[in-house]
Amino acid sequence: MREMRIFLAVVLGAALVFTTMFAQSVSADVLGNGSAITDCLQIGKITSIGDKQLTIATQFEKKSKNYTLHLLPECYVMTARRGEFKKFKELKKGDLIAAYGWYKDGKWNARRIDILDKNDYLIKRLAADAKAGVYYKHER
Amino acid sequence: MKRTVFFSLVIVAAMLIGVVPAQAKKTILTPFDKRDWHVIAPQDSDAPLRDYAILYDAGGVDGAVGVIGIPSMRTYRHIRCGTDMHNFPFSGSNAGNNNGTPDGKYFYVSDKGADTIIEVNIQTGWPERIFALPKPFGIHHSAALSPNGKYLWATGELTGHMLKLRLSDGATTVLDIPPAPSAPDYPDTGRAGKYVFSGNYYHSAVMVFSQDPFKLIKEIPVGKNPHGTNVSPTNRIVAVCDKLSATQSIIDVEKLKVHKVIPVGAGPLHNQFDTLGKYNYISCFVSDSTSKIDMQRFQLVDEFPIHYRVGHNSIAPDNAYYCSQNKFSTGLFTPTGIVFAVNFELQDIDETSATYGKSVKLIPVDGEPHEGRQIFATYIQRWNTGKGQEMFSKGYDLGDVHISFGEKGRPGLPANIHPQLEPIHVGNSSRGWIPRDDGKPGITKEGDVYVVRVKGFSYGYVPRFIHVPQGAKVRMIYTNIDKAAGLTKNPDVTMGLAVGGYYGPRTFLIGVRGFSAYAEFVADKAGEFEFFCQHFCGPIHLEMRGTFFVDPPGKQASLSVGDYDEISKQEQMLDVREHEFIVGTNKLRNTLNEGHEPTI
Ligand SMILES: [Cu+2]
Repeated sequence: MREMRIFLAVVLGAALVFTTMFAQSVSADVLGNGSAITDCLQIGKITSIGDKQLTIATQFEKKSKNYTLHLLPECYVMTARRGEFKKFKELKKGDLIAAYGWYKDGKWNARRIDILDKNDYLIKRLAADAKAGVYYKHER
Repeated sequence: MKRTVFFSLVIVAAMLIGVVPAQAKKTILTPFDKRDWHVIAPQDSDAPLRDYAILYDAGGVDGAVGVIGIPSMRTYRHIRCGTDMHNFPFSGSNAGNNNGTPDGKYFYVSDKGADTIIEVNIQTGWPERIFALPKPFGIHHSAALSPNGKYLWATGELTGHMLKLRLSDGATTVLDIPPAPSAPDYPDTGRAGKYVFSGNYYHSAVMVFSQDPFKLIKEIPVGKNPHGTNVSPTNRIVAVCDKLSATQSIIDVEKLKVHKVIPVGAGPLHNQFDTLGKYNYISCFVSDSTSKIDMQRFQLVDEFPIHYRVGHNSIAPDNAYYCSQNKFSTGLFTPTGIVFAVNFELQDIDETSATYGKSVKLIPVDGEPHEGRQIFATYIQRWNTGKGQEMFSKGYDLGDVHISFGEKGRPGLPANIHPQLEPIHVGNSSRGWIPRDDGKPGITKEGDVYVVRVKGFSYGYVPRFIHVPQGAKVRMIYTNIDKAAGLTKNPDVTMGLAVGGYYGPRTFLIGVRGFSAYAEFVADKAGEFEFFCQHFCGPIHLEMRGTFFVDPPGKQASLSVGDYDEISKQEQMLDVREHEFIVGTNKLRNTLNEGHEPTI
């Protein structure tokens, strides 16, 4: 009888601990759960180009998300490799970019767009990691 | 009984397998002890005609900012700024990593010795304005720019204050940060315009402020004696170097609490995130290494040796190189004077490169540099081909963005003068070295001169409190009595003594072993002034502090009794013709309209 009680206590205790852990990882808002609109850096492929605005599909995450980015008047467009300045109209659908900025009044405002190089070691690393199940913005 | 416990454990283990996701593949990298630390073979970086990036470093005790090419690591020039240059952001925006998103116009560098912030025009390579901070303050850093580039936050390490400064005119809001002792040191701004974070080494906490209105929200306890405190480019976390705990505390920016603590190596000091926020490179002073942290796994993944005793660091804007800005050159280089060169070590951090993880350049550097930041060379125009005037008045384009200095050069500057300020700024004091003085520490009077003998050691001073009457002629004799640096045992430890603020440029004593340094000046302004070690000597170097009181007749000086309004004008350090470049002072203290000073 005593052994039964120990058994139940250990199992139920553990169950409680894991439920809490699990519940926490579900309710955790931003960290560990992929990109959020409130992030100040988004990495993605351009899916459409409008008037001083872009839509991207995020990359290297568990589930790609779509964000529309509005370029601020002082937003630079430049290459990530050598800092070469580009014009907005030089951006193309399918370009992989990093966008830096902030979310304000329902809009994601871009302050800088970096055109990324697919051969860059960090891009290769993010891709390899995602393949191995370590997704970008799914911090541990 | 035993069987039952075993059985329960099996079930618990089964639950574990069910709940915890499969462990991902580990990053495979050559262990650092299996690599040679540096590359001797000729490199592409040996003689490039042009460097693709420029490293600006706040040169510390040489009062200048160094301008160094990346990747050649050749020093192009020094920009003379003041007495003890520490930290800076580029103007523009703080979007991105520590290098921010510059507009290529200015950087703002803090002068811990003179208690000011200097604005340097990147295009001309000259200082333009001096932000005269409200006194008493005791700045350490001005590392934090707002996302919209209109405000700076600076920490008054020496008096326990923090301020927000409007760059257009130097108006400020100053906050008191109790309880004493309080030392706000490294600030960084949230990139979403919400928070400002700053470590406080006496509180072993990170303080969180709102940007507008500027006020303290809470303190988050972290590891022992936090140092570098930096927001990631994603703005999801704040990375804090727990200097004496050999760990990194990761703060969740949304929840404002510690999410995780990672072991990173002994004496972690400063963070450099790459531009994608994938890795964070940490300078580790005691373990003599660069620690590379994977920010998805929150795990130490590699370590590169450095030579030796690193302080600050910087990262190339394309993430290809990392610069370890070392404080000791023990055994390296040919001697060229009493004060030895420190060094900068360029490390290859491109994982696909054949020389990944190795040091590709190691150069002697004068002064004792603190923070460094790097900028793409594409920002800097050619001004010497006859188009200078036009570029200043009409501006130039960087892609779609038009950069203009305006008709008048910039707000606050006289219409007809192009900026070419070179602050004299060294205070007209008499300073030098004498053979080692072994007199007793304390004050004696020789004729009408107050002779103040101070001894410095790792990590402190004797005496710690010095009182002289206002108007006294002072001869300060400073002797480094250490045999070797405290924790690290480097035999070539140099230790300084600088009285922060008004007397900073008049003291600024560099205590090399075997000599004494002296300064002679008149203590004409009353007040309480913290003195500190301006020459990095070990992990507890920042806590090497004491207080110099200049007592007005019949009173004792304190942070509220002193000639602070007068001192805040900073005029004493400059030539009369340069006074128009001074902005701020006690007159504009607490004149910001908090709540209506948006930062994004
Ligand atoms: Cu020191």
